[in-house]
Amino acid sequence: MTRRIAIERSLMIVFAALLLAVPWIVPALTNKFWVSVITEILIWSLFAASINLLFGYVGLLSFGQALYFGFGMYGVGIGIDHLGLSFWPAFGMGIMAAMAMALLSGIFAVRLTWHYFAIITVVFSLIFYFIAVRLKPLTGGDDGINFSLPPTFSFNGTQWSLTNQTFQYLFILAVVSFCFYLMHLVIRSPLGKAFMAIRDNDIRASLIGLNVYRLRLVAFVMAGFLAGVSGALFAFFGRYASASYMFYHVSGEGVVWAIVGGAGTLLGPIVGTSLFIVIREVVSTHWEHHSLIVGVMAILVVILAPKGLIGLWREWFAHFEVRDSEVPAQTKLPTELMSEP
Amino acid sequence: MNEPIPILRTEHLTKRFGGLTAVDNLSLNLPGGRLHAIIGPNGAGKTTFFNLISGLLKADSGRVFFQGRDITSLKPHEISRLGIKRTLQIKSIFQQLSVAENLWITRQASQRFLHPFRDASRDLVTREHVEQTLEQIGMTRLAQHVAGTLSYGDVALLEIGMALISEPRLLLLDEPTCGMSPAETERAVEKIRELAQSIDIVIIEHDMEVVFRIANDITVMTQGAILVSGSPEEISSDERVREAYLGRPEDEDYVEEAAHA
Repeated sequence: MTRRIAIERSLMIVFAALLLAVPWIVPALTNKFWVSVITEILIWSLFAASINLLFGYVGLLSFGQALYFGFGMYGVGIGIDHLGLSFWPAFGMGIMAAMAMALLSGIFAVRLTWHYFAIITVVFSLIFYFIAVRLKPLTGGDDGINFSLPPTFSFNGTQWSLTNQTFQYLFILAVVSFCFYLMHLVIRSPLGKAFMAIRDNDIRASLIGLNVYRLRLVAFVMAGFLAGVSGALFAFFGRYASASYMFYHVSGEGVVWAIVGGAGTLLGPIVGTSLFIVIREVVSTHWEHHSLIVGVMAILVVILAPKGLIGLWREWFAHFEVRDSEVPAQTKLPTELMSEP
Repeated sequence: MNEPIPILRTEHLTKRFGGLTAVDNLSLNLPGGRLHAIIGPNGAGKTTFFNLISGLLKADSGRVFFQGRDITSLKPHEISRLGIKRTLQIKSIFQQLSVAENLWITRQASQRFLHPFRDASRDLVTREHVEQTLEQIGMTRLAQHVAGTLSYGDVALLEIGMALISEPRLLLLDEPTCGMSPAETERAVEKIRELAQSIDIVIIEHDMEVVFRIANDITVMTQGAILVSGSPEEISSDERVREAYLGRPEDEDYVEEAAHA
């Protein structure tokens, strides 16, 4: 246990250092294009984290998180393009829109669990997908809205804007890291323990006095926040908002990323998302059916490593550590071992 | 007559599942300070009765009063927060949490506000309670083990620990010794006896030996209704109980035997 945690700590430090250095290392080593791939991975990891918060920690499998991603995107897009908002108010509007929508649909959705919950989340996202496609004047439909970026900070006439790729990368890294830090805090908190109790056994949770319905709703709105932030970041990153990102296909991909990476672990979604986006980027240039690989890998992981890649890694360590701890235990009891026929 | 308010009282409580009346017009008065056992053949409605009290099921008619307060229409978590805690017939814990976390969340569950960002392990008061309870149930060594990996007897002990740490006013135990080895049963019975000193307990139990050893009062249920209530001696000598509950001839001397054990 301790050795694994020590190794994980050092890996995390190296990982963090590498992430910080990406805008300088990556263009030096390979194509600059990979900086934007990594930026995209960061954003989508946050989206997968929103699914992971619900599925991995509260036991609710949502197939409709794209709805809140889409609301985050449109909050920014409509805020900048139609309302002429500057950067931060638009960012805030995206997040608030996603959370408000999550609250509204959550009031109905979290009364249900399992497949009923999965179905109602899909239904909600489909309803709003079709509304968004139809409301062309507001949403631009499938074409979406393109907008030009307002500066993020301006100080004494100097402006920092996401049009600078390095600044954009660091800004998105900072926001995503902050969100993962918040999630880390939640998982360790009393609220997080209550979430996990509900995930493990909702009837028991209600019998010890937890208000299961309200806690599920809180988790749903928190997941809406994470999805909304990722959607808003994606809007800034792409300078557009489009209804196509509200389609359930997007939600499904997020579910695969979260589960393959390891549901119920903080960093599982990052692992899963990185893996699949890198595969997509590498393979799709050579072979158009790259989603076949995604499907096969998802099936393999679900069958062979139900706790995802992070779970596999932990099991692997647990295996070695059990073997290590068995050695001294055996030497303590030589007589018993000898007497075995 | 100035009788004290009973800890638990039901009035004409009825629950039907389709054509089956699981609990039939049940009126029961449980005075405080006693360990009360409910026995009865399978399907007598004992667990349904517990489910009605703890709010997991809604009664079709009738009322439930806890210390004089009407709790009939309250939700499970609201009833739990009033101090009625229960265990389930099929052992029910939080499988993926550690033993200590199981106790921790049980202690914290009645809080109105669960802090979303503060580190749970920094709550020293709750931690103290957890450590005390671990010691009481003799599971300090297993504190960091994942609850899902425990042996059956340890799970049952953890359940009792969870009942302890929540400081209930009324504890409903649904077959606490079911599936335990004789040694584990012995430990559990000791714990229940100890608990009964300070908490009102209602226990559903199939093990007659256990029932007759620990109960002050026994209620026999058949077909959703009360057949008879009384002291263990009264119950063991009651003809109707023998007929209805242990009707098979080969079992006839069993109740008596247990009563004298």
